[in-house]
Amino acid sequence: MEKQKIHFSETKFYPVFFMIVITIICVGILATFYHLTHKRVEDYELAQMRKQVLETLGLPATSVNEDYERYIRVRTRDNITFYEAKRDNIVIGYCFPMQGSGLWGTIRALAALNVELSEITGFSITEQNETPGLGARITEAWFLDQFKNKSIIFKDEVIKYSLIPEDEIADLTEIQQITGATASSRAIVNILYNNLVEIIQKFKNS
Amino acid sequence: MTKKQILINSLFTENAVWRQILGICSALAVTNLLMNSLVMGLGVIFTLACSSFTISLLRNYIPNRIRMMVQVLIIASFVIIVDLFLKAYLPNMSKALGPYVGLIITNCIIMGRAEAFASNNTPINSAIDGIGAGAGYALVLLIIAFFRELFGFGSLFGIPVLGQWWTKWSIMVMAPSAFFMLALLMWGVYILQTKAKKI
Repeated sequence: MEKQKIHFSETKFYPVFFMIVITIICVGILATFYHLTHKRVEDYELAQMRKQVLETLGLPATSVNEDYERYIRVRTRDNITFYEAKRDNIVIGYCFPMQGSGLWGTIRALAALNVELSEITGFSITEQNETPGLGARITEAWFLDQFKNKSIIFKDEVIKYSLIPEDEIADLTEIQQITGATASSRAIVNILYNNLVEIIQKFKNS
Repeated sequence: MTKKQILINSLFTENAVWRQILGICSALAVTNLLMNSLVMGLGVIFTLACSSFTISLLRNYIPNRIRMMVQVLIIASFVIIVDLFLKAYLPNMSKALGPYVGLIITNCIIMGRAEAFASNNTPINSAIDGIGAGAGYALVLLIIAFFRELFGFGSLFGIPVLGQWWTKWSIMVMAPSAFFMLALLMWGVYILQTKAKKI
């Protein structure tokens, strides 16, 4: 009896072969596209980070890289990396990167403190994955500006700010939360508190 | 079916959201701001058109048993391209949309059109069907977002239109309003379509 010839596309191996080939093609295209764009993305992210450090510290950021080189030094102490701002060789403030859990993912922020480490002089969000239109409003200026000029120490303890509704007037230890985004607002207050406790503890004696 | 009929069919008559009830999760999630809805809509139109075209091009070679794996792979590749493109050339938009661009992969409309149309039709017709279905989805998003942003924030595309006297309806910004709005829209369209059929 003559053996019937089976076409390759009807064999058991064809799906496996096809999947391998199409995966290699797709990954190849993506790798090429990534290679073409990653330099641009990295440059942008670096410039964005530098710009945000300058702005959080209240420094000019007209030509980002030049201004950054002029004012900012990156320093590390007790495993905490931070930015030191100097003007005419006098330290004018510090900027600390901080992070913690948001509702959907990690939130990264920058907090600028005065030289005495007693007051917040600027606060900004560098990365967040909160719900657009709700939690993502933590990046809005009115929300972030509330932290400006707030004391962080009361009777040798770091203050934990409490949240109040958006339409009420906040006192020195209160922050107006975002309507419909209580979890994200609380996350910000917690991230700030947890990181400040660690920073103050490590820097208290020096 | 002519190309025009395919477009009208996937855009209105068989609209993915109000007739097939697909892509509901993202339609509910991003519709509290018009800008987010617009960019999300454009991302879905691009991904749908490209993935339907590619899947249709390969339809005679894709083994039937693993077709869904292949479809997801192709769809995911296009979504990653959109994501990389936004990050490199429109970084602000990429930031504003956050994780939603990546979530286009899980949008049921794309798999739905790949299965129902692209795997049995020519590449050009599939691309047209993809554009129609994507535009239909974007249309629903924009209609819902129009009312949610207007009542919830008193603005349209971020520009204040209702002024200080307007009391913002917080519920319109939150998730429940998306359910009400979507249900009202489906109801409205159903009434219009049944009336049109009777005439």
